[in-house]
Amino acid sequence: MNKLIAVLKREYLQSVRRRMFIIMTILFPALMAAAFVLPSLVMVKGLGKKQIVIVDGTGRLQSTVEHPESVPARRRPVAAGDREVEMPLDYVYVSAADPEAAAKPYIHRLGAERKAERVDGVFVVPANAFESNDSPMRYYSRSSADFITQQRLGDMANLAIRRARLQALNIPPAEIEKLTNRAQVEAVQISKSGEAKKGGAENLIFGLLFGFLLTMPSFIYGIEIMRGIIQEKSDRVVEVLVSSMSPRALLSGKIIGVAAVGLTQIGAWLLMLAGLATFFAAAVAATGIDLRQYIRASTFIYFILFFILAYLTNVCVYAIAGAICNSDREAQQLIAPIGVLMMLPLFLLGPIITNADSPMIVGLSMMPMYGPVTMFIRTLVSDPPVTQILTSIGVSLLTVMVFLWATAKIFRIGILSYGKRPTIPELMRWVRVA
Amino acid sequence: MIARRGMFPPMQEVLTVENIVKTFATVRAVRGISFSVRRGTITGLLGRNGAGKTTTIRMITGIFMPDSGSIRWQGAEGAKSFRDRIGYLPEERGLYRQMKIVEHLLFLAEIKGKKPAEVRPAIDRWLQRFELGEKRNAKVEELSKGNQQKVQIIGTLLHDPELIILDEPFSGLDPVNVMLVRDLLRELKEEGRTILLSTHQMGEAEKMADDIVLIHQGQAVLSGDLEQVRRSFGSNTLHLDFDGDGSFLSGLPHVVHAAIQNNSAELTLEPDADPQEILQAAIGRLRIRRFEVAVPSLEQIFISKVGTESLSTEAA
Repeated sequence: MNKLIAVLKREYLQSVRRRMFIIMTILFPALMAAAFVLPSLVMVKGLGKKQIVIVDGTGRLQSTVEHPESVPARRRPVAAGDREVEMPLDYVYVSAADPEAAAKPYIHRLGAERKAERVDGVFVVPANAFESNDSPMRYYSRSSADFITQQRLGDMANLAIRRARLQALNIPPAEIEKLTNRAQVEAVQISKSGEAKKGGAENLIFGLLFGFLLTMPSFIYGIEIMRGIIQEKSDRVVEVLVSSMSPRALLSGKIIGVAAVGLTQIGAWLLMLAGLATFFAAAVAATGIDLRQYIRASTFIYFILFFILAYLTNVCVYAIAGAICNSDREAQQLIAPIGVLMMLPLFLLGPIITNADSPMIVGLSMMPMYGPVTMFIRTLVSDPPVTQILTSIGVSLLTVMVFLWATAKIFRIGILSYGKRPTIPELMRWVRVA
Repeated sequence: MIARRGMFPPMQEVLTVENIVKTFATVRAVRGISFSVRRGTITGLLGRNGAGKTTTIRMITGIFMPDSGSIRWQGAEGAKSFRDRIGYLPEERGLYRQMKIVEHLLFLAEIKGKKPAEVRPAIDRWLQRFELGEKRNAKVEELSKGNQQKVQIIGTLLHDPELIILDEPFSGLDPVNVMLVRDLLRELKEEGRTILLSTHQMGEAEKMADDIVLIHQGQAVLSGDLEQVRRSFGSNTLHLDFDGDGSFLSGLPHVVHAAIQNNSAELTLEPDADPQEILQAAIGRLRIRRFEVAVPSLEQIFISKVGTESLSTEAA
């Protein structure tokens, strides 16, 4: 045990003293914030004002286009919550009997080099748009993914069409205003005990944030362990180590030492988060978000528990890669495809958060490897049954035990192998004979 | 550093290796090696590269488990039982490059079950002795290769081991450091420690070892007290120093084997050959400066046991 602690202490001190650790601890929250805020900023504002040409075959949309403030703006999907976001568009209105023909010269100017000539989008409203829905409106742009602008223009035209159709039925303008007004929807999450919590977009944000916080360290420190083992092999320290202690104690010391580094870092981040939250508590409360909904004792307990389970599962895979490879490059090549498979819950964070109780996500939350992250997110955004939580923990514990057992065996032989990388049948044999 | 002479009855067998076997995939690296090591002696584990020396050592140190056979320390079986009493200097030497010397030495002592406070005075003594006192807080990577080897040797001895196992301790050392290690080994032996020295350098083993174990193709082909082994090979070896071209010596009658280098030769004669006849034949063509009838060198013994290839040229 003392030997394990000696290894643990060495791993921990060597890691936390590194400049990289200090930089990452400070920089990572800033990077995370940038990762969340920048995309939505870029989506909405980053490209500046857009020049949109509206070619109107009906000739009846001019007033709507000239007073765009009368049209409700699209909401930003994620970061802005309930606040409405202004999306600057500059319109040029063209009325034409044959809108498709009239649109052609503008379509040629899409993405033109000279700014004065450039057009970012051409929105064509067919002549019979008010009478029938047979011919679709068209939005031409260089980017097929510019769905926000497309939807906004569509909404604007549809609203005008709806109003005009209602007007045709002789409905007074005040009534039309009432009929076409959008009602707000507020998401409310109901727990098993019947407690109502404000849900919606914030759930998504917190789910994403904690999902990253839970997953990223185990990948970062998994690579750290893998590189450490390769370093020990190439520095030839490993032989002295395994002549003094069992490979299992050595491996456990390393894994726990690096886990402690990860927890230290996460602890620092959570402290920063708590500090920021306290600082901005008033501002946050003003937006209607109740932070206490997310910062609960159970959240922290689940977080630590699932972090350790996710960490141990992932790290074993990295330790095996380190033990069987002779260079960083070789190990990176080996681990890259496996890493993508292991990161699956990270790619699925969106669906996990929005469909936390769907059969597929429930299944995923009780699977080896994917269980810890998926189940933690479920506990955060939903209210999974205790039996499912316990099953997930049990499955993960079992996975970790099997992984540690196999890793220790492969580690025992792998760390002293300097030749060709073993094949999978050879690895199986190592597990059997070690 | 710590006098142990007289602590244990001398020459008692402390390490017994019995019929150990180790196979890797299809390679039988060790095929039933047996030998014993006496307390307070230096035992030379000799053989070519790939003979099975390192695998044997790795089984003694508990890195590998033997497929069969047993390893006993003072009668107790299993490497785990005496792991902390071994000081092991592997052939593949290495240290954590980023660690400070003192921290590294403390770590090496801790994984041998020592508490930092117990070994701090010893660290100071050893660093002074190896003239590394001023570099105690330097990182390993800042040291020269020779100094790194000294740190590794200190790490091997710091926890006051009873059995010291050195795998090719002279490889990569400059002549000054070779002398340093040689003196240190003699001193450790004087202190009553038991040393197992694996090497392919017959000359070094001849200077240091009390006992030898000759390993070839995974088997111990010869073992025992070095002097007795040499005598058992008879006094049919001639050492000649001369001026002139001695290449004809290998073709003389009754010469079984000749190792001729510059102006000296070691000739192995047929069992009943008369050394005087060789002397007479040589006098006619060379100016003889030394003529000695002796027991064979370890190199000669090795060649006669395992074949004609020279050990040192094979393993260099």
